[in-house]
Amino acid sequence: MSLTDEDEALIAAALNGSPLAWEKLVRRYESKIYNHGLRLMGSSSDAMDLMQEVFLGVYRNLHHFRGDAKFSSWIFRIAHNKAIDMNRRKRLMTTQTRTSDQEELDFLDLVPGETNIEPDNMVSEQQQNKRVLSMLAKLPLEQRLVVELKMFQSQTFEEIANLQDISVNTAKTRFYTALKKLKVVSEEIHALP
Amino acid sequence: MPCPKTQHILQEYFADDLESLAKEKIESHLLVCEHCSNELESLLLTQNTLNQWKNERTPHWNRGMELFRREHQAPISGFSLWHRLQWAPTITCFAMMLVLLLNVNFISSQEGFSVSFGSTSDDSSVIEERLVAFQEEQRLAMDALAARVEDRQVSNNIELLQTVLDQNQQTTAENLNRIYVFFEQQRLRDLEDMRIGYQDLVDNDYETIRSLQQLAQFVSYQSPER
Repeated sequence: MSLTDEDEALIAAALNGSPLAWEKLVRRYESKIYNHGLRLMGSSSDAMDLMQEVFLGVYRNLHHFRGDAKFSSWIFRIAHNKAIDMNRRKRLMTTQTRTSDQEELDFLDLVPGETNIEPDNMVSEQQQNKRVLSMLAKLPLEQRLVVELKMFQSQTFEEIANLQDISVNTAKTRFYTALKKLKVVSEEIHALP
Repeated sequence: MPCPKTQHILQEYFADDLESLAKEKIESHLLVCEHCSNELESLLLTQNTLNQWKNERTPHWNRGMELFRREHQAPISGFSLWHRLQWAPTITCFAMMLVLLLNVNFISSQEGFSVSFGSTSDDSSVIEERLVAFQEEQRLAMDALAARVEDRQVSNNIELLQTVLDQNQQTTAENLNRIYVFFEQQRLRDLEDMRIGYQDLVDNDYETIRSLQQLAQFVSYQSPER
């Protein structure tokens, strides 16, 4: 039985009310979604929030899943949209906080490299992951999404373009621009004492 | 020296479905253009850094199981036998409460079976008569019981008294015997003492008589001499 078939069997069982099937389905994808969220949102707490929202979305819409596309593509599409929503909400909250507490945040803005990532959550067991997160944090969300989809989800530019409703060329440009910026950030990190 | 083609060349380098002709063109350009090849090398290095990401372990969470279980419980319409049985005690209690509240009477006689609600006027007099008869029965039974208890008590008392008297008699007889023996012994001891006393007295008297005789003899001896 292929992974897709297994997914479909689990979905069918979950729709029939089997908690075990649902749990198995969640277990299959939770790590991928959590790490996807971690790279996109930059912090463990935000990644957890995103993961919970994604699985809640999956649960609410499971009966709409027709099996035309792979379940993995479907779930990552949900994750992609939720990440954009969450980022928008977060930005809105940050803007509101800025207007209310301008003085303090002006000072915080002077601290380099802490734009989207909570310092506590930056402390990761894996030093390499910490470095990748700090690099990705420097990218705007649309570029981060393209890098995530291209490099970590191995999607084609055409798929990325469809998902983000942009042209293939724009997707390619975003990826290239993102890589260039990441290169600069990486060099900066290396240059740090 | 910066190359004007760098962006185009490198952007296409990372494309998915590069035609072989375009690929050859890019590769030939990279061979001759140091700027572009250096730029590509640093981008590949950056890509390599990103690829070193290690998946982190997902923190513990409930996986939406509570929500799933809550929303997938058995529907109410599908009443199982167990669900029906759960209501049995409640229904029984309710029925018994109704029977008590409405004062339902189930009367079964030779004529048949009848159910009536509320109390009838005859009921109270019948109950009262039965109550009086029952009280009389109880009183008689209690009297009989009291008489039996009294009899038993009296016989027990007599028995006890008899035993005590017997014991007293025995003790008294023993005591009298002991006193008699003591008196007898005392009497014998007194007799002995008296005998010894008389003997002493007799002895003393004898001595006195002899002394008197000697004295008389002495006096009589002296008188003739004068």
